[in-house]
Amino acid sequence: MANKAGHSGEAVPQWRKILDISLPVDLSYIPIGLACGILLHASGFNIWMTILVSIMVFSGGAQFLIASLLATNSSLYTVVLMMFFLELRYALLGSSLSKHLQGKSLGFTALFAASMNDENYAINYLKFSTDKKFTPKDALQVEHTTLLFWTVSNIIGSVIGSSISIDLTVVHFALTALFIYMIIMQLKEKLLFVICLLAGVLAVFFLMITKSTLGLVISTLVASFIGFLIENTIRKHNPKSSWIKQLRNPGGSPKEDDDIYE
Amino acid sequence: MKWNTMQHFWLILACFVVAYLPRILPLLFFRTRKIPVWFNEWMKYVPVSLFTSLVVKDIFISSDYTFMPLTARVPELIAAALVIGVAYWTRSMIISVLVGLGAVFLLSILI
Repeated sequence: MANKAGHSGEAVPQWRKILDISLPVDLSYIPIGLACGILLHASGFNIWMTILVSIMVFSGGAQFLIASLLATNSSLYTVVLMMFFLELRYALLGSSLSKHLQGKSLGFTALFAASMNDENYAINYLKFSTDKKFTPKDALQVEHTTLLFWTVSNIIGSVIGSSISIDLTVVHFALTALFIYMIIMQLKEKLLFVICLLAGVLAVFFLMITKSTLGLVISTLVASFIGFLIENTIRKHNPKSSWIKQLRNPGGSPKEDDDIYE
Repeated sequence: MKWNTMQHFWLILACFVVAYLPRILPLLFFRTRKIPVWFNEWMKYVPVSLFTSLVVKDIFISSDYTFMPLTARVPELIAAALVIGVAYWTRSMIISVLVGLGAVFLLSILI
């Protein structure tokens, strides 16, 4: 895609390029945003509050949590505390993107952080690591495109209210599939495969121990740090080890193939 | 007790603050500082660990944080296996998402 744009000059307009890149998330957000708007409406949010929360919090998980906690009459304190644990993992997203966003202005950084979430992070991380021409400005536009789809879907959900029902467990699988795709794209070395399995086991363990999404943060921190320690140990003793060698891929690696999104 | 709109507004504001701080602090911290090599080497393992944790939570963990019996998750397990295959061979994000969504939709009707 980026290659095509490069070869044919201005043939592909910027908005079209960004739309193509963000499309998997945009499309997933339509049914999930609808379901979220419906639930927020059912828990008493009016349309303006639904718009406000979609823009200011912009997180499916967080908005579903708000809706379900309000439905069970939780206190403000409980909702905000749960929110804090749920959103703590965004510190990890920011940290792992920081090398691509260094030296940007304060305003840009503030704006970028405001609309960063799991899904557009997934897209932007992949683009930054496979497409040299992908700029922080492109990444910000990807965020805003996904924000637009999310907010509009929430508005429509809020307006139609409970007149239709959407099976949330089914539509949520769109995001699960997106994350599975991201894992497959990451498994470029044998060691990453080991860390993936380790993270899975740790996630089950810590989610059940903490009884909250804090388990996600702990399992990610622990698994990634173990990965880092193992890689450093291997590099010290056997730099040519097959555990940290790039694996061959039948579909071609993203570096050689810019059309992965099509 | 039903919340009124003003209470909803304050709730959103409070949620914004706790959601925004973890988003912006690391980016602010590294905006002007040099990122240590070890930190970037560590961060290399963050995406795969985070995405795996999210998938495991979606597929195996119930909303009250217990391990769900696998027999109750047959549609999701089959669909996940399908998505792994499709992602591996096509390298296409959009096809992976659509196949996953279609598979889980059909399987939850059939099973």
